[in-house]
Amino acid sequence: MPVPDLFAEGLARGWKTHNGSRLEHDLTLEADIAIVGSGAGGGTSAEILSAAGFKVLLIEEGPLKTSSDFKMQEAQAYASLYQEGIGRMSKDGAITILQGRAVGGTTLVNWTSSFRTPAPTLEHWAKEHAVEGHGPAEMAPWFEVMEKRLGVAPWAVPPNANNEVIRSGCDKLGYAWNVIPRNVRGCWNLGYCGMGCPTNAKQSMLVTSIPAMLDQGGELLYLARAERLLLDGDQVSGIECLGLDERCVAPNGRRITVKARHYILAGGGINTPGILLRSKAPDPHQRAGKRTFLHLVNFSAAQFEQLINPFYGAPQSIYSDHFQWDDGPAGRLSYKLEVPPLHPALTATLLGRFGIDNALRMEQLPHTNVMLALLRDGFHPDSAEGRVELRGDGSPVLDYRMTDYSWDGVRRAFHSMAEIQFAAGAKAVLPLHADAGYVKSLAEARRLIDALPLELYRTRLGSAHVMGGCAMGEDPRQAVCDSLGRHHQLGNLSIHDGSLFPTSIGANPQLSIYGLTAKLSAKLVKRLGKV
Amino acid sequence: MIDTTVAPAGLSRRHLLKVGLLGSAFLASAGLTASLSGCSASMPQAGFAVIRESDLAFLRALIPVMLEGAVPPEKLPQAVAGTLESLDYSLNHLSPELLKLTVQLFDVLALPITRGPLTGVWGSWENASAADVRRFLERWQNSWIGLLKMGHASLLQLVMMSWYSRAESWAHCGYPGPPTV
Repeated sequence: MPVPDLFAEGLARGWKTHNGSRLEHDLTLEADIAIVGSGAGGGTSAEILSAAGFKVLLIEEGPLKTSSDFKMQEAQAYASLYQEGIGRMSKDGAITILQGRAVGGTTLVNWTSSFRTPAPTLEHWAKEHAVEGHGPAEMAPWFEVMEKRLGVAPWAVPPNANNEVIRSGCDKLGYAWNVIPRNVRGCWNLGYCGMGCPTNAKQSMLVTSIPAMLDQGGELLYLARAERLLLDGDQVSGIECLGLDERCVAPNGRRITVKARHYILAGGGINTPGILLRSKAPDPHQRAGKRTFLHLVNFSAAQFEQLINPFYGAPQSIYSDHFQWDDGPAGRLSYKLEVPPLHPALTATLLGRFGIDNALRMEQLPHTNVMLALLRDGFHPDSAEGRVELRGDGSPVLDYRMTDYSWDGVRRAFHSMAEIQFAAGAKAVLPLHADAGYVKSLAEARRLIDALPLELYRTRLGSAHVMGGCAMGEDPRQAVCDSLGRHHQLGNLSIHDGSLFPTSIGANPQLSIYGLTAKLSAKLVKRLGKV
Repeated sequence: MIDTTVAPAGLSRRHLLKVGLLGSAFLASAGLTASLSGCSASMPQAGFAVIRESDLAFLRALIPVMLEGAVPPEKLPQAVAGTLESLDYSLNHLSPELLKLTVQLFDVLALPITRGPLTGVWGSWENASAADVRRFLERWQNSWIGLLKMGHASLLQLVMMSWYSRAESWAHCGYPGPPTV
């Protein structure tokens, strides 16, 4: 039985949408609230504000793709659903950055892991970054609301063999592990969350909050880039948007002017500070784009005798926080351990090298596990951090500078991953670094890892969790927004996305963004008063 | 030593001047000045949206080296053609700034004046052996110039992703393909 395309049905019922690639003339759109970005922050805000009776306009740079478009093919999915056609990387080209860019934002392509913001992170923000009112007890009800809304529950099905490596390795070593909560309903356990869910099981913004907003009479403008905020003193007076071609690459010459009473930026890390910088928004303390964090990721591959088939099954279902807080929240750089799904195209670039070396590694794909470490950057003054800049054409790029402190975390993470992989029965382990080959014992791995020159380009690094860059906090000298997401300088502008986080958070960020922006949106409804 | 006997790369002086920041950095680092004879500006090759005739010689030398061991020799010509098709699709969806950087990278590899000093391949790419290509890649990977390391990483990622996104590559890596929904 074919999967019903919920979004296509809604459109047939009369949902109001505007396709920026097909406009016959320039357009002016008006709403009570204009929201830039349709991911976790924008989608959640849109649902809550439209339910309160406000007319919402949701603006998305990417295309509208729905379940019937999702063919589980890497080439097509990466080119159409990811920022810069999956080409996004740090300014030096050494760190691959995966962020969604389509209606639904990154929620459309994430791997469904849904964690509450860890309590030590919330406490650290209160203590070090003057964040008020978002302690663990104050946030708990908001996480609960969003968990219910999006079907978040620990994955009840046995993990696939790729995830099982974490469980069995940690069990042998006496390390802590746990089951990952996922935002799915009726999941088929296919493994293609990163290419758009073909069965609408993933409770992304595309099938939850955005339909709810459209049902309330809200409007969606897609394939339109919010180019700049129009400013009038300390107020935003409009947003100038550019229509894009169908590939979402080049402006097509059409302009859309958006007028609203209140404006919300929810383009995520890198893009939200990018709009502020392009708009020359007042920024007396030069905070926009500073302190951008990545949850920098390094990887370790392992070959097993048994079949792993790491391309099938829920991509992430087991994690280990054994090392996450091992030196306190602000001690040495520590990490959360998870696995990525391994489809051939992305895996070929992860495994590294070329020719025979790469071919031999790829030949073993069905027997290969890859583990990853999410390095909790931003808690220690010596941590690597990034700064968003504008390129010649006004597009944002992240200049992320590594430090010795951060490289030390990378090296320890290589050790931890190899140890767990061997404990789980790996025949051979490969830290993903240009100078490493597969080694057959933990002792060999330890010698290899200790000797690796940890440098950009030689070390395979990535990120799927851009956070920060428009930090919240009560001190305008440190933060772009206050703790309620209100821009410190512009009266009718809020930021509702992961760029608010003063540090990385130590967990996959979607539920943190849902919970926080749900709370900020409810407070905004109260401030804006009766419709 | 600059090889002046090879066929023109299909790039005009005017085009060279547009090579821009990356190209300028390459040129500066090689201590060279541009003095190419005029040829017609380079357009996408027929059948491609982005890849130009001037890019093909290099890519046809590079791709077989990248795919060695993953493709039986008798299937290599089709694999190269397929990889080029997928690569063109990817390039056509990159952001304009990233595409610009990639095109500059290809220019630097195509122009004899930059190719020789920077890659160590002094003759044309058509005549480069697999060993020449491997030496060039190793040289860039271990270069002290960040841009060359970045170029090396980009080439590996672009080519490997392009090939392994294609169904005909999957038998080698034991991937049965996506399930039916």
